[in-house]
Amino acid sequence: MKKILSIILVLVITAGLFAGCNVGGTKGKTEEGEKVIKFGLLAPLTGVNAEYGKGFEVATKMAIEEINKAGGVNGYKLEIEVADSKGDQKESSDLARKFGDDKEILAIIGDFTSGCCMANAPIVDAAGIVQLSPTASNPDYAGMSPYTFSIMGRQDAEAPFFAKYIIHKYLGMKNVALIYINSDWGVSSRDNFLKGAQEVGLNIVAEASYVQDEKDFSSLLLKLKAANPEAVIIFDQGAVPQIVNQIAALDWDIQICALGPGTSQQIIELCGENAEGLITSTPFFFDPNNEKQMAWKEEFVKRAGFEPTVHPVMAYDCVYLLKEAIEMIGDGEITRKAIRDNLQVVEYDGLGGPIKFSDAGDVTRKYLICAVENGKFVLKAGYDYADE
Amino acid sequence: MNEIILKLKSIYDKYKIIIILAGSILLLLVPVIFPKSYIMGIICRILLYIILAGGLNVINGYSSQFCIGYAGFFCIGAYTEAILALRLKINFWLLLPIAGIVTAIAGLLICLPTLKLKGKYLALVTLGFSEIVRLIALNWSSLTGGPMGLKGIPVPKIFGIEFKNSLSYYYIFLFLVAIFLFVTRRVINSRIGRAWMSIREDEQAARSLGVDTSMYKALNFMYGAFWAGIAGAAYAPYTRYIDSTFFTLDEGFNILSMAIIGGMGTLIGPVAGSIVVNLLTELLRPISEYRLVAYAILIIAMMWLRPQGLFGASKSILAGKEIVKKARKAEKEAAA
Repeated sequence: MKKILSIILVLVITAGLFAGCNVGGTKGKTEEGEKVIKFGLLAPLTGVNAEYGKGFEVATKMAIEEINKAGGVNGYKLEIEVADSKGDQKESSDLARKFGDDKEILAIIGDFTSGCCMANAPIVDAAGIVQLSPTASNPDYAGMSPYTFSIMGRQDAEAPFFAKYIIHKYLGMKNVALIYINSDWGVSSRDNFLKGAQEVGLNIVAEASYVQDEKDFSSLLLKLKAANPEAVIIFDQGAVPQIVNQIAALDWDIQICALGPGTSQQIIELCGENAEGLITSTPFFFDPNNEKQMAWKEEFVKRAGFEPTVHPVMAYDCVYLLKEAIEMIGDGEITRKAIRDNLQVVEYDGLGGPIKFSDAGDVTRKYLICAVENGKFVLKAGYDYADE
Repeated sequence: MNEIILKLKSIYDKYKIIIILAGSILLLLVPVIFPKSYIMGIICRILLYIILAGGLNVINGYSSQFCIGYAGFFCIGAYTEAILALRLKINFWLLLPIAGIVTAIAGLLICLPTLKLKGKYLALVTLGFSEIVRLIALNWSSLTGGPMGLKGIPVPKIFGIEFKNSLSYYYIFLFLVAIFLFVTRRVINSRIGRAWMSIREDEQAARSLGVDTSMYKALNFMYGAFWAGIAGAAYAPYTRYIDSTFFTLDEGFNILSMAIIGGMGTLIGPVAGSIVVNLLTELLRPISEYRLVAYAILIIAMMWLRPQGLFGASKSILAGKEIVKKARKAEKEAAA
């Protein structure tokens, strides 16, 4: 038994050594004489973020099938090679190297987390291949190389928008109270909010903060109530439903706004009537009145078996962005460099909102204003509200 | 297994110099044979984990103190290198030993209050330690960049050569692995190593024979931590970006699984463990979702068929050969 086992193990090891050699070398020739452009997708198909990785895979394949059905790009068909990064920076980097070595792959979409994207930045920079991340939101990421792009939107744009356009313009209020989570995100959102508030002359009458996993907010809320604000703004994702419910338990009739959760279904499920009138900002919203979005959502659910969040929408837009960039090359030779140069200047109105890259390679998103009415999120103001 | 090893060993002893020469030339030529940065990236990863699993093996395998929070030491080494290189612009080659020493001191600090703890109790303490280190890295934003991490870590240079990709960085890892194996071999075969193994076999007996067990256990922890620090310091400028998510408990378990699969208490064990585990994760990539299942089955099968690992110490002639030889001789004499 032991002898057999040891022989098997030796075989596995030697097979492993040789198997490494032909990875990346064998690539399918163009089928039926069709010309093909290949992208690589880095996504966490396993691990804690597997849901998002699966969303990436389904959404990008949807986009590619649509484009190919409509005749492809400049006479080329698109193809995508999906690789599982497990959300692990080392694996993501190895795969980025693999895509970088493979001359047939002209651009990389991914990865999901900022950490993986940032670890890959020097690699894609050296290989001269675009890494277009649907979701990396670390403000340092896109500036790391001319080849790194992100379309999720910078973290520092939403809070000033909230102060200027939701509180000041939409609600027309002056005295507000803040309650925020004491985390890097919470503190920096609050700081950015204060900057915007200063510009339009908002009055912060009271502030309170709490640490992650706190359950009882009543004493903090009483403190805010004593200052008699016109609205309470919550800066958090997870604890928003609890805070909303505890405000209702205090019999405090006040305008509630939430920065962070977007149009999270949890708020409605956990708060019920208490959430009525709650106002939130979001970069993207599946509008029930928008046929195109609803059709997309239906198709996604059919393929993936679960409801889409904003992330697969971003991945879907990434494929179309690359398609636009390739179309702009026109008759020129399609190279990694040409894709990069055109991606930098492309302007595209995607499913998840308009996209135009800054010089660094990221996007300052525009935000929508949504409110809860009759147990549903309703769109209150569109992307151009800030410009009106 | 032992017969095969013995046979290999006799061949090795016969042509020692030729094998070593040919082996080192082959190793030096690897980037020429595989000029793809992807394959070299995997080989670099294997080398990195040889140091990590090997360092852990010194703690878990040779003195049988059970550390599962090894990622914490790795984290300290990486952050020490990154912070000092970015803030004080200290040379990488100087930072390697500095990071090692800083980590060894951390190892001493965790070891001193836990000298009397054993087995699962010590394991729990190291587990907590690993998480504390990671949370400090996550929350001390002014020093460690917090959740934003540290980026733009300068790449090492020597004689005008920049080690900026996996093909060139291979030589740094190879150099470190060679030093690690050489030094550790010497240490294991010295009085210190024998003291560690005597503690592993029976701590009370060791003490009754005059081994200062507290001192040697502390030394053992420091030595293991030292190499985690070196590995961290070599890893940070390799990726040029680190954040706390890299040093989770999962990473600690990953290193531990390599040490276990390879076999603890031998020098070659962690080398084999690192090669098998890292190659498997790449080879099993085509079956995507089932990759981790296959990996789990491997571990279960190992525990069942060969609990001491591929090249584990128990019943292996590779472990502490001096002691085993002497014991065998004594056995024979007793029988005679």
